[in-house]
Amino acid sequence: MEEKNIVDIWRSYDQKLEESRILNMQSWVLNLKNFEFLQSQKAKSVLNRLTTGKWFTVILGIIWVVFLVFLVLNSLTINKIFFVVSAGMIAIITGIAIVVYLKQIFLIRQINHSNSIVETQDKLAHLKLSTLWVTRILFLQCPFHTTWFLNWEMLKHAPTGLLIFQVAITVAFTFLSVWLYRNISDKNMHKKWFKVLFGGSGWTSLILAKDFIEEIDEYRQDHIA
Amino acid sequence: MNQTHGKENFLRLIEENKRIIFKICNAYCSNKHDREDLAQEIIYQLWKSAGSFNSDFRFSTWMYRVALNVAISFYRKAKNIKAIVPISDDLVHVPETSGTHHIHEENINLLQQFIHELRELDRALMILYLEEKSHRDISEIIGISETNVATRISRIKEKLKQRFANINQ
Repeated sequence: MEEKNIVDIWRSYDQKLEESRILNMQSWVLNLKNFEFLQSQKAKSVLNRLTTGKWFTVILGIIWVVFLVFLVLNSLTINKIFFVVSAGMIAIITGIAIVVYLKQIFLIRQINHSNSIVETQDKLAHLKLSTLWVTRILFLQCPFHTTWFLNWEMLKHAPTGLLIFQVAITVAFTFLSVWLYRNISDKNMHKKWFKVLFGGSGWTSLILAKDFIEEIDEYRQDHIA
Repeated sequence: MNQTHGKENFLRLIEENKRIIFKICNAYCSNKHDREDLAQEIIYQLWKSAGSFNSDFRFSTWMYRVALNVAISFYRKAKNIKAIVPISDDLVHVPETSGTHHIHEENINLLQQFIHELRELDRALMILYLEEKSHRDISEIIGISETNVATRISRIKEKLKQRFANINQ
């Protein structure tokens, strides 16, 4: 099979498409007759759906932070110091996650499909991988979920066994959250715990994004192995 | 973008280049429903990106960039959600017109099948090569050097020749 033959086969594919009227039978071509479909398509667009989902999360996050701040401001007494510090830290960490989400929305809006394929796809794959950042940050909240309900009165009268249990749980959650913060990265993606943590489909999409970034990097190299 | 100002111009350009959209959709989607969704997404993104069109370049070159980018993203999204449909399941096969053209049509379907088996970026490269784009155009569309384009095309062609040779043995 010569080079010319391959191109000839493709040319005849083109010709056959016309002859067999496949193009005219496609409903998307007929849709073109109604220009309004472009407006409705906007809502269905993949990137638009992606930003809509992120905006929804941001709005819920903001409501949650405002609620926490309201509670903190109304609990500023020494007896509620555990609640104030815990809820305050949860609000701050959620706030940081919201900022990362807003940055992602900004990056999605910067995606320009008329840039080169390698450049656009690289940005999209890195964007996908950046979801790891949000997860890492949110895990730092964990220890504060074990302390918000404590108060001095409770600690004074609690049995020693319960106090030891409380300290053990908080220390364990602190170590776990710091360990996850340090280890949730693309370098550990192929480890079993990572797969369990992110669930089947979430893990698959991250792995695919990482593999695609590697493929793009390899594609950019002039000297192919 | 003077050429695509207004819906009439845009529709005319899409109509003139609809084969490109169709072939890209067929190369990245295995079933009819996905192909239709992808075609609509491509047309929407073309409309949305119309402002970034530089009239110094050909409309078709710009169109390839947008359409292939959208197709690769769409394909990757679908890949996350479900296992890829077996390539032979629902490809748009070119119907036979007469018995004498049978071998020729078999070759077209075989070529389509081969394209489906390539990785996303190689698939884009192959489509552009088959559309007889110059190495320079391909390099601009894909975003790699001309030398890289030449080497990769040569490798893919070699694989394709082997495939046809195996079939014809």
